[in-house]
Order: sequence, then C-alpha cells, then structure tokens
Amino acid sequence: MTQVIIHTNSNGGVSVTVPTGEISVQAVLEKDCPAGAIIVDDSTLPQGADAQFFDAWELSGSTVTVNFEKAKAIKLAQFNSKAVEEAQKRQLNTLAGLENTPDDATWSASLTAGRTAIANATTTAELVAI
Amino acid sequence: MAGTIVADTIQDGAGNSTAMDNAIYGSAKAWANFTNSGSSITVRASYNVSSFTFTNAYTFIMNFTNALSDANYVVLGNTGNSGGSTTTGSIGTCTPSNSSFSNKTTTSVTLETVAFNNSNPAYFDNNVVIFR
Repeated sequence: MTQVIIHTNSNGGVSVTVPTGEISVQAVLEKDCPAGAIIVDDSTLPQGADAQFFDAWELSGSTVTVNFEKAKAIKLAQFNSKAVEEAQKRQLNTLAGLENTPDDATWSASLTAGRTAIANATTTAELVAI
Repeated sequence: MAGTIVADTIQDGAGNSTAMDNAIYGSAKAWANFTNSGSSITVRASYNVSSFTFTNAYTFIMNFTNALSDANYVVLGNTGNSGGSTTTGSIGTCTPSNSSFSNKTTTSVTLETVAFNNSNPAYFDNNVVIFR
C-alpha cells in the first residue's frame, strides 16, 4: 500500500501528490502541499474504470468520488476529438481518390450511436467501453 | 561528515582532469524516470525530487527535495510508450492556463505530456532532467 496526499485544487478537481521516497510522506505534506491536504492510502482512490476519469474526481472529506456528469462530458469531448481526427482523414482520402471504410453513411451512423451511448451510460465502465 | 573542498580542477588516477565548473554546472540538479497512468504515477528512480503532484490527467508538478539556486534552469524531457506509434508524444514544461505563476520556480516545475494525436496523455516511460 502506498500513501499519497490529496487536496481539492483550484479547478474543483482533486490533486494527487505522490512522494518519491526521498523524504517522508509527512515531510512532503508539509513542503509540497497546501494547507488542508490529507494523507490517504492510494487504494482508497477510485479504481478501474473510475480511475480513467481523473479529471472528474471530486473530494468530500477524505473520500474521492467520480462526478459522473463530468465523466460523461470528458468522454464526449474525447469521442468528438477522435471524430474530428477521423473526419480530416476521410476528407484527405476523398481528395486523394481513396475509398473510405466504412462508407460515410455507416460512419456517420456510428457517431450518432456512440453519442447516444454516452448520453445513456450509467457507469464509467460503460463509458470506457464506448 | 560535513566539510568543503575548494579546488579549481579535479583529476582522476589516470591524469584526466576537468575544471571544477564542469562538475558543478555540468551535473544534473534533479532527474526522474517515471510512468504516468492518467491518475497515478510510479517513480522508478529519481534524484532531488520529493514528489509529483497531479493536477489533471496529463499535467503534473515535479517538486524538488532541495530548492535550486534560481528558476533559470534547463528542463530536458522525453517520453515513450510500448503501445505503438499512435501513443507517441512529448513531455515538457507548461504554464497552467488558470494561473499567473510561472511554470518554473526554484522549488518545482510544472510538466505536461502531450500525445501527437492528442488522444493519449499517459505514458509508460517519462524521463526528465534538470540542469543549472
């Protein structure tokens, strides 16, 4: 088990400080962290799919949870970013006379399906699977 | 044992010598080799680094154990992954967009990993070296 230090940052999210071991955790708390930061075991932090949405973490007392609406917004932004990247690639393919696979209609339908799945997701595991 | 050796040149047993300035200014003042997973960090080895603070999935602060003499130091970094070309990227200094303070201070430096395809900011092998 590894001890880390957590605090709520200026964005309302959670900052996690991981000591390297050169000095004690207590010394890191006093030297590198703001007032109010607390030492916790890293096993108490969100795990699995929840860990993939670090920017949606929120701290209440000594408990870190995932704000699911933030997680959905993060996933949608990632999804749209990849869609833009794919759209650019497909446009270049078209200009070069290359075939796009799948065809535009099928790809467009998959985007709609993906966004619907994100909107309807109820767990972070579902978001990760999209 | 505390003490100070004052010399202009250092020399090994074979007669190879160098100016003391090379030893003082040519040696790394801090370095670290680590993995960032997007929510945690694993430090394999480090020197003069007390901790890393994650502020978001790809931005983190490298805190120095002992403060540097000033903030005019050099930050060298590279990053790599084992997952293929789509996850290649870089690591470097950055200035937090919501902050007025510099990304480099005598006690810490703010770093950011950036994927060339902007999709995967977590890297298996991050290397950062500080010279001053």
